[in-house]
Amino acid sequence: MVDAATTATMMDPAGLKAIGAGLAVGLTGLASGIAEKDIGSAAIGAMAENESLFGKGLILTVIPETIVIFGLVVALLIS
Amino acid sequence: MLKPKEMSRAIIVGHKEIMEETIEALHGTNLFHLEDYNEDGSGLKLGRPFENAGEVSKKIVQLRSISSFLGISKSDAPKQKESTVISDLDSKLEKLDTEVTEKTEKRSELESKLKELETLKKDLAPFSAIPIDMELYRNYENIAVFAGTVKEDVGPAISKVTSAYEMEYDHNSGTVVLFVKKEDEAKTSEVLSNFEYRELRIPEISGKPQTLIAGFASEEANIQKQIDALETDMQAIKDKYSEFILASDEVLSIKAEKAEAPVKIATSEHTFIVDGWVPADSVSKLENIVNTATNGRAYVSVQEIEKKDTDIIPIEYDNPKVTRPFQEIMDLYARPKYKEIDPTALIFLSFPLFYGMILGDIGYALILLTLAVAIKKMVNSDAVKPLMNVLIYCQISTLIFGILYAEFLGFPLASLHTDHGSIPGLIAGFETITLFTTPIAGEPITYPIHRTHLVMTMIIATALIGLLHINFGYILGFINEKRNHGFTAAMLEKGSWIVVELGIALAVLGYTGIAPTQVIGIIVFLIGLVMLIKGEGAIAVIELPALLSNALSYTRLIAVGLSSIYIASTVNLIAFDMIWSQGGIVAAIGAILVFIFGHALNTVLSIIAPGLHALRLQYVEFFGKFYEGGGRKYNPFGYIRKYTEE
Repeated sequence: MVDAATTATMMDPAGLKAIGAGLAVGLTGLASGIAEKDIGSAAIGAMAENESLFGKGLILTVIPETIVIFGLVVALLIS
Repeated sequence: MLKPKEMSRAIIVGHKEIMEETIEALHGTNLFHLEDYNEDGSGLKLGRPFENAGEVSKKIVQLRSISSFLGISKSDAPKQKESTVISDLDSKLEKLDTEVTEKTEKRSELESKLKELETLKKDLAPFSAIPIDMELYRNYENIAVFAGTVKEDVGPAISKVTSAYEMEYDHNSGTVVLFVKKEDEAKTSEVLSNFEYRELRIPEISGKPQTLIAGFASEEANIQKQIDALETDMQAIKDKYSEFILASDEVLSIKAEKAEAPVKIATSEHTFIVDGWVPADSVSKLENIVNTATNGRAYVSVQEIEKKDTDIIPIEYDNPKVTRPFQEIMDLYARPKYKEIDPTALIFLSFPLFYGMILGDIGYALILLTLAVAIKKMVNSDAVKPLMNVLIYCQISTLIFGILYAEFLGFPLASLHTDHGSIPGLIAGFETITLFTTPIAGEPITYPIHRTHLVMTMIIATALIGLLHINFGYILGFINEKRNHGFTAAMLEKGSWIVVELGIALAVLGYTGIAPTQVIGIIVFLIGLVMLIKGEGAIAVIELPALLSNALSYTRLIAVGLSSIYIASTVNLIAFDMIWSQGGIVAAIGAILVFIFGHALNTVLSIIAPGLHALRLQYVEFFGKFYEGGGRKYNPFGYIRKYTEE
């Protein structure tokens, strides 16, 4: 038997899924951002000294993108 | 293809008398990569530049300064005869120099005058409300003048310390002008300091401030008019001479390069030695040209390439024309080394493939294709053209995948059947056909592929593509290693990874019950591991998980694509919601604005996101398996003429 109190506190699974997916993308996005911030500024600094480092800098800057991609994949799997 | 061009080391020796002819010939062929000579105590000395070097470089400096004053940029000028350019050079250069110098001097003079007026105006502005001639502020023997700003009216306070004063005060700006007797100066100053008095500079000029300021305006307009006239003159000069300047810049650059060339060459008292590289298939051509130019008096000898020299061999790509734009992408990372596989042709296949898989939208493909073709037509720059070609290749691939996915600007073209009923697509009557059900995720594979509803299948499929791509990289790495360090090293360093993967695959098959046992898999895995540790050391174990993360990294092929679909469909949703729910002309205009702006934004993202991610898959996941790079660029001694011809 389910009384009124438990129904009220029971959460909708769809909502929980959405929260989970949101956390997965949001937190990994933050993580990528934090990682890219440092790499990006260092890469710009290096490029200011030697323009031919653009390619290397670009690659290094996109490397942490993998984190948020994984988050996105996890979110897609959840929802 | 797949290998840089084969190079030969050539040494040209001859008598100093014929050095000029030899250099002339080498420069003309644009084939020979000149190796700079460093004095190494062998008795050979660096050569001296030819006599005309000083004069040529002087002219270049003169010409380039004119060119920068006029702001001349590269253009599609018709080619001119070199001889005419040279014969006109001195007289035209002289004329141009005097004209341009005169004009620029005049202009800077006028500009400084304008600036002077500007400061004067700024200085006068506080006095504008005070009707006293500016010359009355100066040259008194017994009167002290205070001119400045205060925070409030000082009149009452001043009248307390002295009765003999003359004051003007402007409420708006807080400017005060005060004339007092010399003996009252100290007292007045003290009073003023209580009112936050700040002294103003009195401009050295005569006349009423208001009339002066009014006069400035017309004077400024006058000067501006003169500047504009000068600018028009300069523009006329620019239009008239820009072709000449570009052509003579080229001629002079060629002359300077030739004149300075001996500085890189080893010479003794009577001979010179030029050392450098030439593509192997052009050796005989080089020999011929040098022989003809010097009547056979210079000797060209092809040297054996020693092992220690392989690192300094200049690298020239050897690719068919279609794949050439991708050399630009290779250069962005690093040129291959001489003994390495040149992956340009492989990127030519996989980069557009990945890009198309990510974007896969007919609408964006058409927009970007048009854009790329237009930019290629309009911009005449050697740096932009290859990139536009790459973009065009990518858009063709995107178009194909767009048809496969049947997407147009985020709208599905075909209808979609889900558990909650079917949603019609953009094209009425275009039904989704179910082909078969995948064994992996149990999702039905359809045409067109609805990416948003086949997430699980797509993720697994992309990871498999990743595994394929990575293993392809290992195989290339194997070939590279074998070529450089023999079969054993290749097997231990690169082959071991494949064995490890094989072991994991067998173990998984055993675990899921498809294969009878997982023991074989584990044994194969351990063999691979031992090989790996032998090949790359114990530290390689740390890299094992990278196998998984690298393969999973390819799931971005679907994930980034989905994010782009979601942005597009959100834009569509907002735009259509505005029309359906509200209606009316205002809502329609708003909807169109949202639609255009949203998709414009997404188009920009559609170049950046798929491009970067497809690139990264090449650079990090693929190249990491086999590519070292770091080759020197083949930079032949010579010049490619654009504006002149001999």
